[in-house]
Amino acid sequence: MPELLDIQRDLASALHDADAAARAGRWLAGDAVLIEQRLAIYRANVAVAGTKALGAAYPVVRQVVGEAFFDGLARAYQRRVPSTSGDLSEHGAAFAAFVAEFPHTQSLPYLADLARLEWAVHRAYGAADAKPWDRQTLAQVAPARQSSIRLAWAAGTDIVDSNFPIARVWRIHQPDFDGEFRVDGSIRECALVAREGFRVVVSALAAGDAAFTASSLAGAALGASAEAALAADPGFDLGHLLGRLMAANVICGFSTDKDD
Amino acid sequence: MTSLPDRTVGIGLRQPHYREVFERTPVLGFLEVHSENFFLDGGASVHALERARAAYPISLHGVGLSLGSADALAHQHLAKLARLVDRIEPALVSEHLSWSSLGTRHFNDLLPMPRTREVLALLTERVDRVQSTLKRSILIENVSAYFEFHDSDMTETALLDELARRTGCGILFDVNNLYVNAVNFGFDPMARLGELSAAAIGEMHLAGHTCTDGCLIDTHGAQVCDEVWALFEAACRRFGPKPTLIEWDTDLPALDVLLGEAATAGSIARRTVEVACA
Repeated sequence: MPELLDIQRDLASALHDADAAARAGRWLAGDAVLIEQRLAIYRANVAVAGTKALGAAYPVVRQVVGEAFFDGLARAYQRRVPSTSGDLSEHGAAFAAFVAEFPHTQSLPYLADLARLEWAVHRAYGAADAKPWDRQTLAQVAPARQSSIRLAWAAGTDIVDSNFPIARVWRIHQPDFDGEFRVDGSIRECALVAREGFRVVVSALAAGDAAFTASSLAGAALGASAEAALAADPGFDLGHLLGRLMAANVICGFSTDKDD
Repeated sequence: MTSLPDRTVGIGLRQPHYREVFERTPVLGFLEVHSENFFLDGGASVHALERARAAYPISLHGVGLSLGSADALAHQHLAKLARLVDRIEPALVSEHLSWSSLGTRHFNDLLPMPRTREVLALLTERVDRVQSTLKRSILIENVSAYFEFHDSDMTETALLDELARRTGCGILFDVNNLYVNAVNFGFDPMARLGELSAAAIGEMHLAGHTCTDGCLIDTHGAQVCDEVWALFEAACRRFGPKPTLIEWDTDLPALDVLLGEAATAGSIARRTVEVACA
C-alpha cells in the first residue's frame, strides 16, 4: 500500500505546478485529461482563495492598480510566496517586499510603501484591545524619574515612513472619504497606524512626532525619545503629542525603571 | 455530542450580514462561522462574534486545521482554535475529513483523502488529539471531491461512521457534498445514507453548487437544488431532524435569501417528523 505521504507529496507538487501533474496522476482514477481537468479545479480554488485574502488585506493597493492587475499581481506573489498558514489572514506578510521588486509595478514607486502601510493596518485591525488605564498616574511620576518612563503602546500601533504621501493616498481611498482627492506627490509622510477602539486610524506625523514615536515604539525611554524628536524638529511639543495619543488610548500605560 | 436541540436551523454568519443580523435578530437556532476568521487577538471581528454569541448559540466551523496531513498536525493552529473555543464556548466545533497542507505549504482548500485503513488510523489519532486538546467532542464533515483515488477501499460515509465509533466524534453530514460526489463519481447518494449511524450525526449542512463541464463544484454560492432537498428529506426521515445549517460563502445574497432557505429546511424537517408520528 502506498504511503499517504507519497500521495500528498505528489498532489502538492501537482497543485503547485501543472507540469508535475503526471506523478500525481498515478494515484488517481481516470485518464490523464480528466485528471488534469480536475486538478485544475483545485489549482483555481487555491489561487482564488489566496487572491481574495490578499485583496482583503490590501484593498487600497487593489484600488490603485485595478482589480484585474491586482489579481495577476496576487497570483505572481503566491507563486513566489505560497501560503503557509491555515489562517489566510496571515497570508501576505511579504507582499510589500514583493511589490518593491516586481518589474511591472516600478512605475508606481509609492506602491510598496502603501502595501507596507496596509499590512500594518491589517495587523492593527485584529490586534488585542487596549485596556483602559488611569492617565493621572503618569502625572504623578516624580520629575526626577520622568525621563526614564517607558510608554506602553496599544497592540497594533506602528509607523510606516515613506518618501511619498502614503497616509494621504490611503485616506482618499477609504469608502467613507468625501473630501478633495488631489494628492501632492512631493510630500513625504510618516504614517502612524493605531487602533482607536475598533477603528484603525491612519494619520501623518510631523517630523518631531514621527521621531518620538519611532524611538518610543522601539522601547526607548521618554527622555531619549524626546531628544530624538527635538533633533528632528526643534518645535516638537511633547505634551501636545502625549495628550492626543493618550486621549485615543494609543498610549495605554507606562513603566518606570525602578533603579533610577 | 451536541448541545443544540435536534430541531433547529441556523445560517452561516458572514461579515456583510453582521449589522442586519444584530439589528433584526432573526429567529434562528444557531449561527455558524469559520473558526479561522476569529483567530485574531481582538478588534472588530472578535467583538462581532462575541456580540453574536450573546444572542445565539455559535457553531465554530474550521477550514484550516488539515486533520489529514500525512506529516504533522499544526499545533499552533490547534492552539489558536483552543483559545477561541475557550473564548466563545460554542455549541458545536467542527472540521473536515480532508487535508490542506504539507510541510510549510498550505493550500487553504479542502483536499480529499484516499479512504484506506492507514488513513482511518491517522484520522483516529488526530481526532483523539484534537478532542483531548479542546476537552470536547468535535464533528467531522464529509467533503466534496473532484478526483478519486485508486486505492480507496471504503466509502467516505463508512469511513466517517467508523471514525465516529472509534473516537466518539460526531458527524457533520454535508448533504450537498454527498450529492456533488455522487454526480462526480456516479454513485447513488441515497444508498450511502444507510452507512451513517443516526446517533453520530450532530449537524447537517445544506448549500448550493455550480455545474461545470462534467463536474459539480461545491461553491456555497447558490440556492440548494431540488435533488439536495430531496436527499435532505430522506436524511431527516432516516436520522430524525438534526441541527441544520444553510451555508453560503461566495456571491453572498441578501440575508432574507438565507432565511428563506433556512425556513425551507425547517419545514422539510418538520414534515418528516409529522409523517413519522402519523
